[in-house]
Amino acid sequence: MSVALVFVLACPALSRAAPLRVTLAVSEEGGAYQSFSETLRSKLPSDKYELKIKRADDSYGGADLYVAVGMKAALQLASRDIPTLNVLVPKAGYDKIQNQAAARTAPRSAIYLDQPIERQIALLSAALPGTRHVGVLYSAAPPELPSIRRLMKEKSINLHDRAVDHSHPLNDALESVLEESEVLFVLPDTEVYNAGTIRNILLTSYRKQVPLLGISQAYVKAGALCAVFSTPEQVAAQTIAMIERYAESGKLAAAQYPNDFEVSINIQVARSLDLRIKDADKLRDEIRRIP
Amino acid sequence: MRHGPVPLARLTLVLVYGSLLFAPGRVVAEDAISEQAYLQDLPVVLSASRLSQPLSEAPNAMTVIDRDTIRSSGYRNIADLFRLVPGMYVGYQDGYSPFVSYHGSTDNYARRMQVLIDGRSVYLPPFGQVDWADIPVHIDDIERIEVIRGPAAASHGANSTQGVINIITREASGEKGGRLSVNKGEAGISDTVARIRGAGSDLDYRLTLGERSDSGYASAVLNDSNMTRLANFRANYHPNAMDSIDIQLGYSEGVRGIGTVGRVTEPFRDIQTRSDFEQIEWTRALRQSDEIKLRYYHITRAYTDTAMPLLGTDVILTQRDEIELQHTFSPWADNRVVWGGGMRTDTLDDPASFSSPAPTVKQSRLFAHDEWRVTQSAVLNIGTMWENDGIGHHNNSPRLSLNYHLTPLDTVRIGVSRAYRTPVAFEEYSNTQYLVGKQYTSMGGLRPERMLSREIGYIGEFPSTSMTLDSRFYSDRLSDLIFLDPNPDGSMGFKNLYSFSVRGFESTLKYRWGENSNIVLNYAHQLMSCAATASLTLSAYNPLLQEYIDQCPKMVPLDSGSIMLVQQMTDDVALTVSYFNQGTLQLLDALEPQTQMNRVDIRITRSFGNLEKSGGGEVALVVQNAFQDNYTEFANTPQKRNLFFDRRTYFIATINF
Repeated sequence: MSVALVFVLACPALSRAAPLRVTLAVSEEGGAYQSFSETLRSKLPSDKYELKIKRADDSYGGADLYVAVGMKAALQLASRDIPTLNVLVPKAGYDKIQNQAAARTAPRSAIYLDQPIERQIALLSAALPGTRHVGVLYSAAPPELPSIRRLMKEKSINLHDRAVDHSHPLNDALESVLEESEVLFVLPDTEVYNAGTIRNILLTSYRKQVPLLGISQAYVKAGALCAVFSTPEQVAAQTIAMIERYAESGKLAAAQYPNDFEVSINIQVARSLDLRIKDADKLRDEIRRIP
Repeated sequence: MRHGPVPLARLTLVLVYGSLLFAPGRVVAEDAISEQAYLQDLPVVLSASRLSQPLSEAPNAMTVIDRDTIRSSGYRNIADLFRLVPGMYVGYQDGYSPFVSYHGSTDNYARRMQVLIDGRSVYLPPFGQVDWADIPVHIDDIERIEVIRGPAAASHGANSTQGVINIITREASGEKGGRLSVNKGEAGISDTVARIRGAGSDLDYRLTLGERSDSGYASAVLNDSNMTRLANFRANYHPNAMDSIDIQLGYSEGVRGIGTVGRVTEPFRDIQTRSDFEQIEWTRALRQSDEIKLRYYHITRAYTDTAMPLLGTDVILTQRDEIELQHTFSPWADNRVVWGGGMRTDTLDDPASFSSPAPTVKQSRLFAHDEWRVTQSAVLNIGTMWENDGIGHHNNSPRLSLNYHLTPLDTVRIGVSRAYRTPVAFEEYSNTQYLVGKQYTSMGGLRPERMLSREIGYIGEFPSTSMTLDSRFYSDRLSDLIFLDPNPDGSMGFKNLYSFSVRGFESTLKYRWGENSNIVLNYAHQLMSCAATASLTLSAYNPLLQEYIDQCPKMVPLDSGSIMLVQQMTDDVALTVSYFNQGTLQLLDALEPQTQMNRVDIRITRSFGNLEKSGGGEVALVVQNAFQDNYTEFANTPQKRNLFFDRRTYFIATINF
């Protein structure tokens, strides 16, 4: 009997009659978290799925599948051996959870918040063809730096990197990397890029006529030239697809990058820098064609 | 007793958590990888008004003098930089009073250009002049200067008649630190400037203190030794991602020699000047790069001459208050509109020039400008400014221009615009009580001077040779020009008396070769014709007016130009050589023509460390008029006839800390 119960629980496909219980554990209120939850609530068929939305600090109760929205919820759910899909988490964060996790039986997967480096480089090549020198700044060298360098090399782009630390304050590193670069390629590093530093970074790079390639819509609004990113709605659609597959097969697909994305351009910045750039939709279509 | 430790433990817990919560990002970032890098809100930094238009899309011809050019020039005075603009004239009426005009000037009050500093107009009554020496902004604090060649009232407001000098100073933001720079050299040159900057997460500031002095022409004929002290403060507060509040304060005071040998009306003495301004600007970023901007400023300028012959003390106090609201947005796809309005109040206290007090002049205006991308390759700029000039006129100053990209690298610009110059207080209201010299009595009723400008230009980029070319042909017609009109009682009045046309060609070629060499060549060819359009009140003087009219076409040099070569010799040694040529010319009220100028300025610098960074700096040697070309300057008295700008050498030492 108990064996049968476990079997039934583990294979939701067999219990079609009862809706799949999905609990969302949301790290923060508002913003992207809210857009994601609302899209999920409106798009996930309510006859087949019973959706509960909880704050990361709440007690979650029982469910067939947990969706952790953001790192805070992901970390809280990481220690529990329950089926978990992590979304709005950076790949590096998810990798860390995977590496630290004890042996487990329940499936776990993720849809990363970041875009694959290939996609960002594709945007760079499509938006600014002919770029030969790209700069990056970081507080600690990210593990993917060698692969960024290699992928750029394949496109004949030289990567110039500078660490920002106590002996190399931001402005020194910035001025020095801008000397060598035609584009500043933003890395997800809040030590370097935050609301307090972005003024200086954008004003200095603008003065040197070096555009920024950002990692979110906020960067483009602030004054970066362009960015490729996925909206919470796009991530929600991909999440629904994974939930539906889980409902059918009882398996979670492997951790993956967002498959749908947007390109945003700050056309005023492009014009001011006298950069003739294709429009956002054209760029997105061009990048989509890249396998 | 039992409860004791519990609150203590809780307090400890609160403190520990509290310190974690309020700890800077560093702690959190090291502990955990967060999604914040992607989801964080960022302030809008490059908002519409911070972005400059590329030349190929601008509705006017424009010369940009950037920070590198300013530093390479080695100049101590802002006005000298305008020698690098084709068609522009920089004159000196004494060692410290430059005046800058474009396409000719009647006299040493070049009245037909607007000068803005961060949107603040420093073209001031009663005479309609810009006192370059006492502007409380140091040349070292300038980010860039956009010189708009041609009328631009639709975008830059009233009195943008022949053009606009738009000075943009450095932002408050930047790295914490300080800078000290000292100039010492011939002609009594002794300047010191110190600047400190501070930056926080939502407040940035910079403070500059400076002193500048020299002995002017260092000639026995003119008493023009001068000293100016200034303080300039700028702070930027950005409480959230959308709002930014910019505060600027400036103060300057100067002591200047005045007087000419052999002129009873101009004995040797000192005058005092004092200028201050207070400016606050609020910018709210809206969606895309739309924004709303509200600016208020106040300017006070005081000129005190305590030893005016017979009169004793002469004080001129000028005050200006202005408020302007501006909204930038895209109402339809491919359109970008800037519109808004402003009000300005100028008050004057100058008993010697206005025996019945000069009225307070309240100007108001509305403006709208649309940049419309008609097709991929055509940009139409259409706009106008409507103003009530406060002295009885309503002027409408439209501008229309089309930039057509023949290829992405070749652009043709065609433009036509109209603009006005409002009569200044002295022209409209003067009623002097001078005890010596000519008296002025205005009869009032002057019409604004009217400008009609037409141009066709070409902007080409040649990336294979790292070259850009910016050329234009233009035809400007100014009507109803105001000039002196003798009154029957022997005093002097003003009247709309003549018109002139300037036609010409201007070109700027920039060429860069290798990593270390670049050169900028400017050339202007100007042809002027003038005609009297009214008769003097005393018709007996008409032949005299005709003499002026006959001389008027000489207001511009037929040919003029400049070459600026910047060569990085080694990693830390750089050389700048500038050559200025200006054909002979004669301002309308000058006694005789100025001779041709062939002046060479040289600057050699050795830098150490990073020029903008702590520990970095440079030492430079500047030689102005290196080959001692004895060109003559503007002279409206016989004594100034053979005053030459002697070769002067000075050293600059700059260190950052």
